[in-house]
Amino acid sequence: MRRPWLFGLLLTLITGAILVALLDSEPSGTGAENVGQSGPEPTVTATPAESEGREERVERRRCEATESNPGGTNNYLPDAPARDALGGGFVITGLVRAADGCRPLPDVRVQVWLATETGGEQDNRASVRTGSDGRYRIETAPTIAQFGEPNIHVGYDDGDFGEVFIRRVVDLDDERAVVDLTLARRG
Amino acid sequence: MAERRRAAVLAAVIAVAAVPAALALTDRHLAGASVALVVSTTAGALAVSALALQPLLAAGRRIARHRLLGAVAFALVLLHVGALFVESPDDAWFAMSPDGPTRARMALIATIALAGAVTLGVLRNRLPLGAGTWRGLHAYLAVVVLALGIGHAVLTDGALDDLGTAVLVALGAVGLVGVPAAHVARTRLARRG
Repeated sequence: MRRPWLFGLLLTLITGAILVALLDSEPSGTGAENVGQSGPEPTVTATPAESEGREERVERRRCEATESNPGGTNNYLPDAPARDALGGGFVITGLVRAADGCRPLPDVRVQVWLATETGGEQDNRASVRTGSDGRYRIETAPTIAQFGEPNIHVGYDDGDFGEVFIRRVVDLDDERAVVDLTLARRG
Repeated sequence: MAERRRAAVLAAVIAVAAVPAALALTDRHLAGASVALVVSTTAGALAVSALALQPLLAAGRRIARHRLLGAVAFALVLLHVGALFVESPDDAWFAMSPDGPTRARMALIATIALAGAVTLGVLRNRLPLGAGTWRGLHAYLAVVVLALGIGHAVLTDGALDDLGTAVLVALGAVGLVGVPAAHVARTRLARRG
């Protein structure tokens, strides 16, 4: 080897570039925070926005709209059939609110899809509607890893508000996932 | 006697090499999985074994087998990735994108390094590189392939968790210790002429 220092420098630079590329990535992908929980499902208490007599104050509030994150549309198919459950053993819940006023949104249709013990993301999809308190809930079969980690997808694409497609992750031994959505009106 | 010993060594090597694939295929993660996912997981598990054995073949002067196994390992890695594209193109593209998870980035870099190591092997006598530089570069790429390939497999939830993780780490250690050993052995051999 005629110039070992040059060779060493080259390998050091390549190693540095590899380390930067790895440190620059997020463990589960960009914006895919872990929303998994275990233990008994907590009892839901009314949020301030739901309480009566506070309408005026609530109207002035503004909540940050949920943004779609990369991979959110993976395996998305519009208009999933309405289903009460996709099996049992895992629960996905969430509160859907309006960005303007932060009020819970009743009767809003969201789609939930994920890979479980009973099928892949394209098979395990359901449309669920929020109740009068703006919350949705669906029970599914236990999650399995999809491309190395259990993913939970929740999307909104019904026109009144801007579309949102999010991808979150849970651990294999989690029993629940909470995915809240804050929707911004179109235009 | 020597032949019997050789057969015993070969049987032992095949048995060790089959462990990750056997563990993966019997894991409940693959129960009810699609053909594409079974193929991808099996190819990935076999690639780990093949790559871990590569430095040992190089150190043992089994260069013809080292080349053959290198080609097999590369083909297995490409099959592993190709089958993932069949399984779910959306997830496969996302994994390889700049927004993909760390484990997928490790896999991508390891695959590029493996392609580099294979290219160096194929073009050995046609590149304007000294023998020492060639060996150093090939060994460096081998370390990147093993470290990031095993890191990818360990960080990936699925068919090789728990005992599978221990096997992956052990095979990775064999490979990573093997690379400098092979490098020293080949350098000594070259000096002796």
